[in-house]
Amino acid sequence: MTPTTSPGASDHLLPVATPAEARTELRRLVRRRRGVLGAAAAAFLVQGLAGLAAPYLLGRIVDVVTGGGERSEVVWPVVAIAVAAVVGGLATVASVALLARGVEPGLAELREEVLDRGVHLDHAEIERTGTGDLMARVGDDVRAVSDSIGEVVPLVIASAVAVLLTTVGLFAIDWRLGLAGLTTVPSYVLGLRWYLPRSGPYYAREREANGVRAGAVLTAVQAQATLRAHGWGGRQQERVREASWASAQIAIDVWHMLLRFFARNNRAEAIGLIALLGTGFFLVRADEVSVGAVTAAALLFHRLFNPIGALMGLFDEVQSAAASFVRLVGMVQLAPVRRHRTPAHDAALCLDGVSYAYVAGRPVLRDVDLVVAPGERVALVGASGAGKSTLGVIAAGLVEPTTGRVTSDGVPLLVTQEVHTYVGTVRDNLTLGARSAVPDEVVRDALRRTAAERWVELLPDGLDTVVGDGGHPLTAAQAQQLALARVVVLDPRVVVLDEATAEAGSAGARDLEVAALAVTEGRAALVIAHRLTQAQTADRVVVLEDGAVLEEGSHAGLLARDGRYAALWSAWAAH
Amino acid sequence: MLTDRGLLLRATRRQGRWLAGSLGLITLWQVCEALVPVAIGITVDRAVATGDVSELVWCAVGICVLFAVLSYSYRFGARLGFRGVQEETHALRTEVTAAVLRPEGLRSDRLAGDLLTVTTADAEAVGAFIRHVTATVAALVGLLVAGVALARIDGVIAVVVLVGVPAILAVSQLLAPALARRSSARQEALGRTAGLASDLLRGLRPLKGLHAEDAAMARFRAVSQEAGRTAVVAGRWEGVLDGVSVALSGLFLAAIALLAGWRALDGELGIGELVAVLGLAQFVAEPMALIAFMIGQVARSRASAARIAEVLGAPALVVEPAEPAAAEEVVFDRVTHDGLSDLSFRAGRGDLVALAVEEPGDAGTVLALLRGEARPDAGTVGLGAVVVPHHVDLFEGTLRDNVDPFGALDEERLAAVLAASAADDVAGHLAGGLDEPLGPDARTLSGGQRQRLALARALAADPAALVLHDPTSSVDAVTEDHVAASLRELRRDRATVVVSSSPALLARADLVVHVRAGGGVATGTHAELTRDPAYAAAVLR
Repeated sequence: MTPTTSPGASDHLLPVATPAEARTELRRLVRRRRGVLGAAAAAFLVQGLAGLAAPYLLGRIVDVVTGGGERSEVVWPVVAIAVAAVVGGLATVASVALLARGVEPGLAELREEVLDRGVHLDHAEIERTGTGDLMARVGDDVRAVSDSIGEVVPLVIASAVAVLLTTVGLFAIDWRLGLAGLTTVPSYVLGLRWYLPRSGPYYAREREANGVRAGAVLTAVQAQATLRAHGWGGRQQERVREASWASAQIAIDVWHMLLRFFARNNRAEAIGLIALLGTGFFLVRADEVSVGAVTAAALLFHRLFNPIGALMGLFDEVQSAAASFVRLVGMVQLAPVRRHRTPAHDAALCLDGVSYAYVAGRPVLRDVDLVVAPGERVALVGASGAGKSTLGVIAAGLVEPTTGRVTSDGVPLLVTQEVHTYVGTVRDNLTLGARSAVPDEVVRDALRRTAAERWVELLPDGLDTVVGDGGHPLTAAQAQQLALARVVVLDPRVVVLDEATAEAGSAGARDLEVAALAVTEGRAALVIAHRLTQAQTADRVVVLEDGAVLEEGSHAGLLARDGRYAALWSAWAAH
Repeated sequence: MLTDRGLLLRATRRQGRWLAGSLGLITLWQVCEALVPVAIGITVDRAVATGDVSELVWCAVGICVLFAVLSYSYRFGARLGFRGVQEETHALRTEVTAAVLRPEGLRSDRLAGDLLTVTTADAEAVGAFIRHVTATVAALVGLLVAGVALARIDGVIAVVVLVGVPAILAVSQLLAPALARRSSARQEALGRTAGLASDLLRGLRPLKGLHAEDAAMARFRAVSQEAGRTAVVAGRWEGVLDGVSVALSGLFLAAIALLAGWRALDGELGIGELVAVLGLAQFVAEPMALIAFMIGQVARSRASAARIAEVLGAPALVVEPAEPAAAEEVVFDRVTHDGLSDLSFRAGRGDLVALAVEEPGDAGTVLALLRGEARPDAGTVGLGAVVVPHHVDLFEGTLRDNVDPFGALDEERLAAVLAASAADDVAGHLAGGLDEPLGPDARTLSGGQRQRLALARALAADPAALVLHDPTSSVDAVTEDHVAASLRELRRDRATVVVSSSPALLARADLVVHVRAGGGVATGTHAELTRDPAYAAAVLR
């Protein structure tokens, strides 16, 4: 188990937006909610200003004390501090709440658009890119952006406003004190310039090491039964140990670097504080400012340590969220593929001179003509790699043929041996794809016809039992029955079944046969079968070899011809 | 028997070295942080207010020293602490996988995904306990130092601060449960959204087959919009909590300023002391908030520790341990257990024995007995054969990693094994061939392709005694026939048992044992048994 290549290493990737496109999309999202977001920005500003009041007013108190003033003279700055506290509190409530109201619906919209483009990706595109990159975008990238917007963005805005206003505040007290405060800027800039070029590669290495570790742990946990069966537990454990420590070691290196970066921030803080107090010292000596003003400036500056630290520490997160955002925008910009099918005239399904090549010059289908009459059941047989499944997806309209034409009576539904039980109730699973509400009788009828009614009734909540990942477990055969029952509910005029009874070798074989038959009843069906029992009972059998139709006829007729089908049949029936 | 507390205590003991160093340095850092406002006060008092240059120089030197100590103590304290966290997380992670992978296995109801969380997130949460201990102790010491500094300046103010700050934190904490409820509702809603999205993508191909993309998106939109609304509500509560704590701490500061200002006017406080008091009053809120936060974090660590302790303390799956892959043959001698009665067979070197078991439950019993996961009521079972499960586990990595995970085979042997299991054809369909990464769960592979890989892996491992369970149930007839013939050929010097009702495999077996529903047993070749109508009905197409 060598390190798996990350999606970034693959040649076939979904598009990524340019920074300019990402900015345009961001502007679009912001503009649509500019009222709420503008109000949030105003609230952040008020919050920042209120935060400035306390140190400034504390300086006034120091002046009152040094000037030997009256008790009552202390009262008004204190009242002002209290008022600023209440205003600041209210502004904080408003800023956080308004930001959530402005951002969360936009975020929901973004993730919906990303998934929408994802599920509408062209079938051929998915075959080419695999689902890995897509899963990463919809999963990790959406999470990175929403975590960042939920937690990092408010912190960044509040910190940035605090830093900005404090600087303004320093200048307001005295411009020379303001300049003294600015002496820290070069130190911070140098710190960032030291850190940022180093952090990227480090984090990339860390991600890679974590990926290797996750792979080793995943294999250990998910494949434990197989590992133990072969007596490989010890060796896998050694692999986990190595990968785990390697990733810990890199995490430690990254942390050391981060700590050196923080140390640079401390240096900047010390320089700034001394510069400020030193400047204040000479200004007070020259009678230019009061002791209170210097105190206020020093306290203001001290309050900056946390927001500046936060900003510095968040730089990486903002960068990685931006990278995720760019990938999401890349998805949103994809044009959704909408299928439409030319209606067939007299046949239910008609393939006319269909050829297809995944790679130019290497056709997997060559000039296939195939007609399925209304209500007819045609079995498609042939060895693995003959092009049967490709023919199936073309017939079902998921892939456009390279050359040739496909027409049909409505878009045919395709059921493959790749069965997925969706998270939700049994009813949800069966009505998935229905355009309107489906009455329970229809659902029950579909279950009855696919011989699934009995076991569904025995489930804890019947039709309302939650199945799929984390729900009530179903056997492979049961999942396949549900997949077939779905077709009965949707009631298409044409159906393509691609080895939809593959699990029939194990328990429940007969129930699946019944289900498959029920699905084809009363509609035109193209059945891609490796269980030749399905060919035996079909109205017509088409033998595909190397992407071309080799033989065509009834089961009995083809046996009599003693060709390829007869050979396949004898291999099947030999035992 | 480990408990959650025991596990956390063990963590602190085990990482005692790192913990002690980190504790000392981080505490020193916290004290330095507490002294920064004091230093500002001293500088204002001695230098700024007096105009004495030599005092200014001394104060600058003092600030430099303070920041140097602050910076280095944090840097190295945090280093040591982080090392402890990493060491502990690593130790826990490997302990859990070791428990899962040990030959006798783990009898746990946890799903694989759940176990994965235990090895990753829970191990990290317990490792982080080391950091929580350091942070809490340091915050307590920082609080103590600030308290002492305040008390030395003015006893009354010290009491007001040390009573007032916890009171404010307590008031904020009153709101915390309401916020926690909303945040967890948001996390749950977002988790549901993410789960639904990944579920739809995992079932994307079947979904496209149904042309149900738009219908599924409508369902997703409803859940996503709901999650958005939940997040808005959570944001409102977050704002309220933040706002209340901003307002309360500001009001408290106003009160302290009034008190300290008056006492300074009365001549009880110097200017420097006044500045220090105001700075310290702002400072103490930090360690106090940290301690409040840590209480929640420690609770999380403890919950994680409980889950790890449960896994580490789970009983073994195997009740009859045996040396893995050590057996030369597979033997059942007059075994009676559950649905089985008086079942005997023997697959020695060179034998291919097929078990045609009518009841799936009985097949499960046979396999459990062979794995030593159950002890027969009567009779004996030979243990130590490699029993390959029907469910195909794919490993993370390439196709080659899956067939020959530890790189034991030469190319020639690998090619032979791949050809025998028809897995060469699987590699032929992948762009990268044998070195194509399969990705998580190898979602692109069909059931038949997965089965062929598992078979190739078993043949590559080449154990002296091998048991296969329905190894070709998703493979097409022509390929199955080829596989059955190759299996016979490749295992000619080994003992092999196949539990299957596939005629292609049964026909190639030297001996077929037909285990009827109800416990009856018939033995013979496939051809002989075919005459029995019950057998024919059970296995023929």
